[in-house]
Amino acid sequence: MSGSSRGGSSAKSMLRSPFILIVGAVLTWFIAAFLVWPNVNVLIATFFPDGNFSGRAAEKLFSSQRAMKSLGNSFMLAVALSITVNVVGIFIVLVTHYFRIRGSRILFLGYATTFIYGGIVLAAGYKFIYGDKGIITSLLLQVFPGMDAAWFSGFFAVLVVMTFATTTNHMLFVANALRGVDYQTIEAAKNLGASSWTILRRVVLPMLKPTLFAVTILSFLTGLGALSAPQVLGGRDFQTITPMILTFTNSPTSRDLAALLAVILGAATILMLAVMTRLEKGGTYFSVSKVSSALRKQQITNPVANIAVHLTAYLLFAVYTLPVLLIVLYSFADGAAIQTGQLSPGSLTLDNYVRVLTQESGLRPFVVSVVYSALAAVIAVGGLLFVARLLQKYRNWVSSLFEYLLHIPWILPSALLALGLIISYDHPNPLVGGAVLTGTTVILLIAFVTVKIPFTLRMLKASFASVNSSLEEAAAIMGAKTLYVFRRILLPLVLPAAAAIAALNFNSLLDDYDTAIFLAHPLVQPLGLVIKANTDGAEGVEGVANTFVYTVLLMVITGLTMYLVYGRSGRRGAGKSGAGPSGRRRAGFPGTVTIAEAAPGPEAAPLPAGRP
Amino acid sequence: MRKFQTLMAAAVAATLLAGCGAGTATPAASEAPSSTSPSGETLVVYTNSNGEGRGDWLTAEATKAGFKIEIVGAGGADATNKLIAEKNNPIADVAFGLNNMYFAQIKAAGALEPFDPAWAGDVDTAVGDTGDGKSYWPLVKQAILLGYNADKFSGDTAPKDWTDLWTKDEFKSRYERVTGLGTATAQLVFAGILSRYKDDSGDLGISDEGWKQVEQYFKNGSPAVAKTDLFARIASGEVDMGQMPSSIIADREKTFKVNAETVVPSVGVPLAVEQIALVKGTDKKAEAVKFIDWFGSADVQAAFAKQFNSMPVNKVAAEQANPDVVEFFATVKQQDIDWEFVQENMGAWVEKIELEYMQ
Repeated sequence: MSGSSRGGSSAKSMLRSPFILIVGAVLTWFIAAFLVWPNVNVLIATFFPDGNFSGRAAEKLFSSQRAMKSLGNSFMLAVALSITVNVVGIFIVLVTHYFRIRGSRILFLGYATTFIYGGIVLAAGYKFIYGDKGIITSLLLQVFPGMDAAWFSGFFAVLVVMTFATTTNHMLFVANALRGVDYQTIEAAKNLGASSWTILRRVVLPMLKPTLFAVTILSFLTGLGALSAPQVLGGRDFQTITPMILTFTNSPTSRDLAALLAVILGAATILMLAVMTRLEKGGTYFSVSKVSSALRKQQITNPVANIAVHLTAYLLFAVYTLPVLLIVLYSFADGAAIQTGQLSPGSLTLDNYVRVLTQESGLRPFVVSVVYSALAAVIAVGGLLFVARLLQKYRNWVSSLFEYLLHIPWILPSALLALGLIISYDHPNPLVGGAVLTGTTVILLIAFVTVKIPFTLRMLKASFASVNSSLEEAAAIMGAKTLYVFRRILLPLVLPAAAAIAALNFNSLLDDYDTAIFLAHPLVQPLGLVIKANTDGAEGVEGVANTFVYTVLLMVITGLTMYLVYGRSGRRGAGKSGAGPSGRRRAGFPGTVTIAEAAPGPEAAPLPAGRP
Repeated sequence: MRKFQTLMAAAVAATLLAGCGAGTATPAASEAPSSTSPSGETLVVYTNSNGEGRGDWLTAEATKAGFKIEIVGAGGADATNKLIAEKNNPIADVAFGLNNMYFAQIKAAGALEPFDPAWAGDVDTAVGDTGDGKSYWPLVKQAILLGYNADKFSGDTAPKDWTDLWTKDEFKSRYERVTGLGTATAQLVFAGILSRYKDDSGDLGISDEGWKQVEQYFKNGSPAVAKTDLFARIASGEVDMGQMPSSIIADREKTFKVNAETVVPSVGVPLAVEQIALVKGTDKKAEAVKFIDWFGSADVQAAFAKQFNSMPVNKVAAEQANPDVVEFFATVKQQDIDWEFVQENMGAWVEKIELEYMQ
């Protein structure tokens, strides 16, 4: 799709299609009932406590040095991350998918570790290695006895950890888009005498732009919302705003400050979104060749550059995998060893696992979390498939309005979203047919679906944007109806990306605490609550050890999810990452360019109409 | 594809049905006949005191006594917010473990039902709800202490009071200071410090001198590290002292092989008293009161105290509690704190400290 150049996208023409009207009506109801109404309620309750607007919050915040500094730090981190994550992310994607690198399969697995864990445990993992008592620090101290043991702290440490922790989206979506690059354009450029570097910069990267824009927004957002890494590694000089937002959200008398801070961050996010949308409109990123061919891995011809890239790739591999190994190792140690960083081989036992798995609640919270997360992930992706397509196809003020409204969950912290749902639906409400939602199992599902909407929408839109429009046009010319085209042509093309998004949604909801604490049904409590109950700072000596065990168990679940979504097709794709076009099952078909290795088996995804 | 859709529809339907089921089950059982034995209806219990196996222990003991309880664990502030947010359509029947400051907030929001437990005569009502229409009743006492590494300091060289930490050079940057005021323990420490500087003409009822203490506390302390226990930091020599609730000390000393002693300032130490309350609007009131009568009774409180080294408020239960614990509480001087004043201002204090003094 080539930006806004397509015709027939005015608001009026949109309203002529009954299909769009139905989707629009459902969407309008959903947005009104679950995105606008609850949040308007909670904002009114915070900013107009007695019916009068109070400007107190702004006054307090702007005169607070700490608040302003933390806010500044959050923004600085967001901007820096947008750059560093792209640099590292693009590098690892090129190393695993574009250049011919020895052992790229192993490298891929190493870089993919960020799929399976994150948060406070990830930060702790890095601390085990680079912290003042960390392995690397101890080694460095032997070489340079005079150096500062606490070298790995502050902005630098936070940025490093968060950069390596958040390349997941690159590995999934940018890699996917890269596989869709038409090799013929690269060959043509080569024939014209372009160097590897020029081809990369002028041919390959521009085609990745829509996806890069989408992941840049996510990196920015991750930086703005940074919580655990600054808490563990930021030290005195680099604290971010999120902990303050959380504290104020929990204090009824200061909730207006939390809301105001959240709105400031939200406004920044929307601004970023607007800028990116504008940039996105700027150009055509698509190869127009009708018979595209599969990408072939490129040899780096300059031997010095080749060695340098190999070295960097394996260094990054070590950086990515070491924390995971240590987390698994430490999950067998006792709480004291984890917190003091002193590990003796004899102290590793299965006690932690026995304790976690034999407690009264047992495996039930795992099952509850898996069911909730899977339902929410599938509903969010399934529901937004149509919406993302429509928003991507029709660009006018109506669709822009809907798009921005769908980003509301990015603006407010999840605790406020949850409070909004409670105060809006603790009494019979006509918006939901007069039902009372609090105390039911549905309300948490609604919250889970809503918090995942913005991410799902962005990534789905990006994947629709990278679908070659010629197939759809051909089908339309031959008389296929909108739904038919969507179901038989577009859907199979974006399904791999949709599956990846669903898997990421699923993974991120598994250990949710902020939403569940307010909305979970008392008899159906998800994992996040159990983890928290066992790890609350002042609560238990074993708490930290339990967190590690839960993290490892979650790694297994999420690893399994990623395997189910990627693994089987990954095996098929193994030949392809090896080299040569033999693994490209559908190579040569226009429009199938984005499917690449994540394509599910033919039984799950019907091929585009008329394909064998 | 079709198979997948069917599966999904079935799953969604199942969830929705489960939701309805849970929603309708509650009112049906509401008219329980009033008798002394538990009816076995499921009670939803909110608490912040379910860690370290307490939740599992209580559920098991309650089952033996014929109660069916479902514990929902949440931090003190989370549980408070949840109870207040749900007041129009309460989900919990009973809440316990929160201290008097939190319950005072919940009561002020109108989410608690006044009641008198069967064991009302066995507890000192001065440490419970001191207002009209008593809505929460004391269970367990907890002292908020300043503890130090006894291997590094003797009784003579250790600090004598919190204020020594930032006024004497030998303690500067040797004590851990909090990085957030979200926890009950941190709030109680500040209640203890600020109460000493009550001044009606000062900002938020506290004199300038009082706020200066807070400023110095943050300036000279070593910030707490997320997910690293104070005892772990003491063990590794990073710091030597910091705040600790009395109930955890024995356990942590063992785990981290630290020898800790505590300071009792001349003004005394702040006592936090964990309470139990009946949630207003519960449709299982009779059963909930029976549960509270059982849980607060001398036998159960004594068993709880023995199991978890806690200090029961119930006088009869206290006789059977761990003698070391009982003796500590018998000798420790309780700081005289105007809880009404503290509760009224704590929100604003936390805000001011977070915005102006924390670094």
